[in-house]
Amino acid sequence: MTSLLNPDTSADSMPAPPPAGRPPAVDRFRTQSRRRLARADLLGAVGWLSGVAAVALWLADGGASGFSSFAGTMTALGIVAGLIGMDLVLLMLLLAARIPVVDNAIGHDRALEIHKSLGKPALYLLLAHGLFVAIGYGAAEGLDPLSESISLWINVPDMWLAFVSMALFIAVVVTSLVAVRRKFPYEFWYVVHLLTYAAVGTAIPHQFSVGGLFAEGTWQRWYWLALCIGTGLALAWFRVYQPLAASFRHQLTVSRVVRVSPDVFSIEMTGRNLERLSGAGGRFFLWRFLAPGQWWQSHPFSLSAEPVPGDRNRPGKLRITVRNLGEGSARLARIRPGTKVAIEGPYGLFSTAARSRDDVVMIGAGIGITPLRSLLETTPFEPGHATVLIRGHDESELFLGQEIMALCQARGVTLFHLLGPRSHGDHAWLPRDVAQAGFGLHSYVQGIADADVYVCGPSPWAASVIRDVELAGVPAEQLHYERFDW
Amino acid sequence: MRIRAALATAVASAGILLAGWQSGAHIAETGAATTTSLSSSATSGGTSSGGGTNTGSPSSGTGSSSGTSTGSTTAATFDGTQVQTRFGTVQVRVTIQDGKITEVTPLQLTDAERKSAQISSRAAPVLRSEVLQAQSANVQTIGGATVTSDAYLTSLQAALDAANF
Repeated sequence: MTSLLNPDTSADSMPAPPPAGRPPAVDRFRTQSRRRLARADLLGAVGWLSGVAAVALWLADGGASGFSSFAGTMTALGIVAGLIGMDLVLLMLLLAARIPVVDNAIGHDRALEIHKSLGKPALYLLLAHGLFVAIGYGAAEGLDPLSESISLWINVPDMWLAFVSMALFIAVVVTSLVAVRRKFPYEFWYVVHLLTYAAVGTAIPHQFSVGGLFAEGTWQRWYWLALCIGTGLALAWFRVYQPLAASFRHQLTVSRVVRVSPDVFSIEMTGRNLERLSGAGGRFFLWRFLAPGQWWQSHPFSLSAEPVPGDRNRPGKLRITVRNLGEGSARLARIRPGTKVAIEGPYGLFSTAARSRDDVVMIGAGIGITPLRSLLETTPFEPGHATVLIRGHDESELFLGQEIMALCQARGVTLFHLLGPRSHGDHAWLPRDVAQAGFGLHSYVQGIADADVYVCGPSPWAASVIRDVELAGVPAEQLHYERFDW
Repeated sequence: MRIRAALATAVASAGILLAGWQSGAHIAETGAATTTSLSSSATSGGTSSGGGTNTGSPSSGTGSSSGTSTGSTTAATFDGTQVQTRFGTVQVRVTIQDGKITEVTPLQLTDAERKSAQISSRAAPVLRSEVLQAQSANVQTIGGATVTSDAYLTSLQAALDAANF
């Protein structure tokens, strides 16, 4: 087949028909979806049970006997809070570790959502741990909690580290709160977030040396050690080793930058072993362009075309399409051909792996059209079983619109261009004249309730789409949404 | 999470908690018993308290000593202060013969809970041999038994001070 990214054809040339894949087996996607949801449930259960197990460790150690006195009760509450808090912190790290099992089951977006939602509970539990243990220990020794804290700080080895850890945790959570995040540049927030590792690292010694629960020779110690070491290894493997390995394996180099519209451009790259990335169309990578002033920034962008494996005569090709949103992406427009690129990924469930039905509906707006473009290229469906709706203020905002039209013609896809000024109210995702004329989702797509719906675009717009899609009776497991403004 | 999975998780959680509680129940009983016996002994005079460690100055009335003559050499024993920790009271007796520490005997060790007793029984022999080797209370604390170790060494230091060692 000829490639879209072939240097001798322009980016908006007609693509060849996609390779005739085997026809989708009956219920292939239903089975895939059922398995994926079962994996997601299993992961959720493991998460909950790890918290329960933390309490059980303490119960098995006779912890419940502490409730016989005031001091004992306070200490017991403090210990339980600390155990669950630490368990949540480890879960948060695992959710952010980009582990393929997690990514394939719930997707990167959802993993980070859960990660975020655990932040505050974890902090409150750790604060409660410090407070209750200080009260409990203090009461046992006839000291007020403050003096007890000072005494712990000064006299008990590893405890000063625990206090440092607490301060770091507070700093990390406070800077992570959305309101605060908006006031600081992303990089500042990111560096503060790295302090999490310091916070966890300084919290660990006192768990093993001061608390009796994890004393040497107990099975609880082994369990907790395995949990901490396992989390550390997962982070090192999936966030450090794998990205380095992928960057070396693929040796990506910018081959050219093509302007798609005044503020949108495609970056094309050549690389090796790209057959290993087949099926990644629609998923995203974190891209790091190794040029002066650039290398320290990584950008999350989805592929806007399925990777093209190379052969003996020419290297493989990869393409992303980027909108000039921030200062960072503006500099990307001036990136030089020949620049080496380090990658992390692919991540996310915006791919065939999320399919659950034979029919497909894709709805995109703005730069969110471009991941749909690569998904449209490869995800299997029969002619006549796919519908694409792309939204823009005018034709020039339908980025890669020509390519999408060509793909739709080649694969038998119904394509709608939704153009014009935005409307307000219930169907804000539609152009104003369309919404006023009383048209809705049902006017474009029949049988959407039995289709996979992929939505990609700016958050407020996507929220409006998702509302209508849900009203049309599409269950959650058939709705696939990629955030595109982070 | 779907309802069936949530129910399964809830049942599994209850099972894990019950198993943990069951295996900890007998410990809870013995723990409660030792706590009671300890509270009576802790009221005896001349105790010092602190968050595990203590500056080690002997309180009034402790640091008692007794000497026994055996042949040409003199062995003297000195009792250290009672150091209170949240895991129980710790007190050691040191035997000094010919200007050397020849023996350290624990009179009381942390035993507030089964775990503390377990820790003590493991830490005490290690501390004893370290002390005998170093000939001072200036030795490393035992990992996982910091509170006990510190109290042990504090009491020991008090005994050594009393012996003018």
